[in-house]
Amino acid sequence: MNLLSVVTFVPLAGAVLLALIPRDEARQHRALALVVTLVTLALSLGLWLGFDASPAAPEFQFEEKYPWMSSIGIGYHVGLDGVALLLVMLTTVLMPVVVLSTWRAVEDRVKEFMIALLVLETAMIGTFAALDLILFYVFWELILIPMYLLIGIWGSQNRLYATVKFFVYTFAASVLMLLAILFLFFHDGGTFDYVQARAALQVTPEQGKWLFLAFALAFAVKVPMFPLHTWLPDAHTEAPTAGSVILAGVLLKMGTFGFFRYAMPLFPEAALTLRPWIAGLATVGIVYGALMCFVQTDMKRLVAYSSVSHLGFVMLGLAALSAEGLTGSVYQMLNHGVSTGALFLLVGMLYERRHTRLVSEYGGLAQQVPWIATAFVVVTLSSIGLPGTNGFVGEFLILSGTFLSRLAGSTTFATVGSVGVILGAVYMLVLVERVFFGALKKEENKRLADLSVREGFVLAPMIALIVVMGLVPGPFLAPARPAVNRLVQRFQQTEARLNLPTQVGTVETAVAARPPTPLEGAN
Amino acid sequence: MPALANPSAAEASLWAIILFPLAGALINGLIGKHLGRANATLVALGAMVGSLVIAGVAFSWVAQGYTLHYGGAPWIAVAGADGRAIVSVTWGLFVDRLSGTLLLVVTGVGTLIHVYSASYMSHEDDAGYARFFTYLNLFVAAMLTLVLGDSLVLTFVGWEGVGLCSYLLIGFWFTDPQKAYAGRKAFVVNRIGDFGFLIGVFSLLAIFGTPSYAEMGAAARALVPDAVIATGVFAGWTFQGAVTFAMLCLFVGATGKSAQLPLYIWLPDAMAGPTPVSALIHAATMVTAGVYLVARNSMLYSLAPAAMATVTLVGALTALFAAVIAFAQTDIKKVLAYSTVSQLGFMFIGVGCGAWWAGVLHLVTHAFFKACLFLGAGSVMHGMGDETDIRKMGGLAKKMPHTHWTFLLSTISATGILPLAGYWSKDAILGNALFSHNPAWHEVGPIAYVIGTLAALGTAFYMTRLYWLTFRGAPRTHAAEHAHESSPVMTVPLMVLAVLATVGLVLGLPEGFGPLSEVYQRFVEPAFAAGTERLHEVGHLHAGPHPAWPFFAAWVIAALGTLVGWLMYGGAWKALPEKLAHGWPNAYGLLADKFRIDELYGALVVEPLKAAAMGLWRVVDVTLIDGTVNGVAKVAGGVASVVRLAQNGDVQRYAAVMAVAAAAILWTVLGVGGQ
Repeated sequence: MNLLSVVTFVPLAGAVLLALIPRDEARQHRALALVVTLVTLALSLGLWLGFDASPAAPEFQFEEKYPWMSSIGIGYHVGLDGVALLLVMLTTVLMPVVVLSTWRAVEDRVKEFMIALLVLETAMIGTFAALDLILFYVFWELILIPMYLLIGIWGSQNRLYATVKFFVYTFAASVLMLLAILFLFFHDGGTFDYVQARAALQVTPEQGKWLFLAFALAFAVKVPMFPLHTWLPDAHTEAPTAGSVILAGVLLKMGTFGFFRYAMPLFPEAALTLRPWIAGLATVGIVYGALMCFVQTDMKRLVAYSSVSHLGFVMLGLAALSAEGLTGSVYQMLNHGVSTGALFLLVGMLYERRHTRLVSEYGGLAQQVPWIATAFVVVTLSSIGLPGTNGFVGEFLILSGTFLSRLAGSTTFATVGSVGVILGAVYMLVLVERVFFGALKKEENKRLADLSVREGFVLAPMIALIVVMGLVPGPFLAPARPAVNRLVQRFQQTEARLNLPTQVGTVETAVAARPPTPLEGAN
Repeated sequence: MPALANPSAAEASLWAIILFPLAGALINGLIGKHLGRANATLVALGAMVGSLVIAGVAFSWVAQGYTLHYGGAPWIAVAGADGRAIVSVTWGLFVDRLSGTLLLVVTGVGTLIHVYSASYMSHEDDAGYARFFTYLNLFVAAMLTLVLGDSLVLTFVGWEGVGLCSYLLIGFWFTDPQKAYAGRKAFVVNRIGDFGFLIGVFSLLAIFGTPSYAEMGAAARALVPDAVIATGVFAGWTFQGAVTFAMLCLFVGATGKSAQLPLYIWLPDAMAGPTPVSALIHAATMVTAGVYLVARNSMLYSLAPAAMATVTLVGALTALFAAVIAFAQTDIKKVLAYSTVSQLGFMFIGVGCGAWWAGVLHLVTHAFFKACLFLGAGSVMHGMGDETDIRKMGGLAKKMPHTHWTFLLSTISATGILPLAGYWSKDAILGNALFSHNPAWHEVGPIAYVIGTLAALGTAFYMTRLYWLTFRGAPRTHAAEHAHESSPVMTVPLMVLAVLATVGLVLGLPEGFGPLSEVYQRFVEPAFAAGTERLHEVGHLHAGPHPAWPFFAAWVIAALGTLVGWLMYGGAWKALPEKLAHGWPNAYGLLADKFRIDELYGALVVEPLKAAAMGLWRVVDVTLIDGTVNGVAKVAGGVASVVRLAQNGDVQRYAAVMAVAAAAILWTVLGVGGQ
């Protein structure tokens, strides 16, 4: 078992351990869950430090491969490229924060709650680490079970509708992906191994298109892309804080990651044909999600719709297929995990104090809880992409990368996408204003306590990441580079093979004022 | 400072200019509340002085003819597999004589305003006091980043950073919902401008493949404007067309930040912030960033005459439009705010018609006299118990002598009366506009001259009105009778600024003053050399000296406006304003309501957007999408209740169904999809 497998299964082992502790020891459950997630984080740092981001390094590192059901070509095959590494790190960083955030919020069935969280962590890491299609699918679907329970058991009033909607939406779409995976088996020389399948896959363009769509549908629901997004506001609103943070922080990225890892490299030809549609829906999603935020009265619902907008940026960058756009997408996946995760944490803190998510129940809170207000403003700035925060790096790369891409209509997509930057400032600042500014009128709000030490520890890592990733993005951009360049090259090879006009990569500039830097350069 | 005794050491210390105020902001932000007022002041002011000293050293090198450039560590750097790194930005800083000028203005005026604020904000509690200086220091750090950044992207960092600080400071007293709203309005309107800025940056990346000023400038010099671009985003455009597009986009950003038509609407509301903020951010520094942006890209603008014509015309129209609104404002800060909008318009006329130096010179003199006016207004408000309505003032000259004479000097300078600083810089702008020949539109310069001259007439009028209603005549209220002079901590910065606004005249002297003639023009021109050269090549600029008559015309105009203002508010026509207001109530109402532009935007943009959002949510999300999803769920439920009939426990039937199903699956997988 190599380090990656250890990181993947330590949380599951922790869950088994938790199951052995008697039910009434809630403190022990919490403490153990925290320790397990912290150990996982510590171990995953080994992955971070051990990853070789040079172009010459192997594509997948920390690789491990065992036959599992070799007669039908299923194996245990895991490994990380830079993008998967970043998302695994995002997961392992978020989990201790999430556990810590539930300290007071969850009093009911703590044991089962923590077990669900730890199983979820294994499933998430496994999804990013898997290099076997069936293994990937198993992890992918495994996530649904704890998430279904988290929302259905620990959620708020309307949780059953939300959790069934969540389950059916995502499950229905995933089934098509399973069929597509099965189909692949018959056209890649009889294996479910991703690396082999990617190399050996032989499908007609027509088949490729349908297969791409089957994968894309599963991923697009998860992202979620407009118009498949309506499960998200319900799920977010009803989920407990921990569920919302994980949902926004990691689960949505499984969709965008799926596009990056599976749908696009497996079916490049179909992706080339269909990417104007992806870019179009992504751009609509950016603006549409932002407009939806204007009319929400529930804070969590508002943040959920802002996710639709932010993930629209990620999809736009992916569809652009330029190094800048793709890198920006990867970065924005991390950003969204950090800043929207932090937003849900903050909303959760307010909810714990007032037991309402309605914006109108608040107002003037900055007087009473200045530290929460400060943290909220910082996170808001990250969310609206202010330079100096992580959000800017992602948005700037995505929008410039789209503008500079060879995608037809790229400048229109980038321009309309940039409108989302304006709209984002509007709805987030309106939210800040309504919750924190103005006079402190409501009696209930005059007794609110400011940030506790524990909550400080919950938010500190998030805010630190917002600033560090905003000012020193280099270490976070570097791992993505080989994966991004490989994807671009894969598409360029497809173009060359099919004799298509150049439509991938970054445009030639009118003047080349800056000589190309050698590959080991700036990054 | 021996460590800065050579240019490369000065280059290495450039970041300190920014980091001093940034550190001050961090310290006061985290622990300022517990430091106590004196220490918080010390931290904030110490940071400013430190920054000012290093800025002074940097400036001295620049004055000796060096340009300082600090390469900086990579920030955002992405390169494709082919090694091209288009979006590659470093933390690089750059000082030439243009940024050097602004460096001194920002740190110098900034320091004075920090001193003033120590007294002005003394009524705040400890937490509020520390918070104020946190934001103010942070603002200076952001503004310096804007000025010093060696690429458009780094300038954009400062650009949005000052927007943030402006937001925080306008809404400083956030418990008042209107002030909080004013802050948000400023940020959002600026973001609309920033949208243009971003598209401009993307366009320039597509043209030049770099966001660096130096690299773009060097490449731009070699361009043939009429050549057609072969590849990329702008394939098929001429270089001139593409650069013009990019420059227009950047100018959209400038209209937001520098409060020009049509995005000026946030600045008057921004007066909700504490008055030192109005002086520093909304008069002297931040709002001039748009002018700096145009001047900084002078080389590129010189390739884009249509963009320059736009800059000129928008500047001229704004100058007049805002001056007219200022006629009927009764709030001392609102008058000054519209005056600022108007004066910024003059600066844009300057940089738009190729007299970059004149635009920047007016930026400098305006920073002095307008900061002095705002701080004077703050002093008046202090003395009057936070009263801002000039109709309730009068006769303050005797009660507040220091505030009075500094305000008077600044008023004269703003009015453009000989010989104070404002006269020379404003006249340089108008004179250059008159004799410029924009190749895209020959008449734009003379048109701007006419509009600008009318605006100058208006300026003289409303400034005289403001001065007279505030300081002269008899006190009109109890508060005005009992007004008191402010503490020296407040009046000394006023005096320094008034003196600067006066001696600043040296900078703008025209030819004929021996060694002092055109001193600032000669100083700053190297920063614009390439752009100016290009403008001369295309005949955009007037060759040789101007005739002298515009100088006299400008003086007559200023004197005339002053005279009318005095007659109407101090002299024989005292009844006239009242008569006008009663005679044309609709016209007066429209003017007092600032032409109701806010209401217009509300009806045209804000409300439709809200309605669209609500409509989309109800129709698309709730009805169409969720309706479909829930409908499918219902149908599935219905089907299930039918299918349930099949589950009758008959094992043989199950087996039959399974067999058929298995056959169907095999057929699907192997048949339809198979080879």
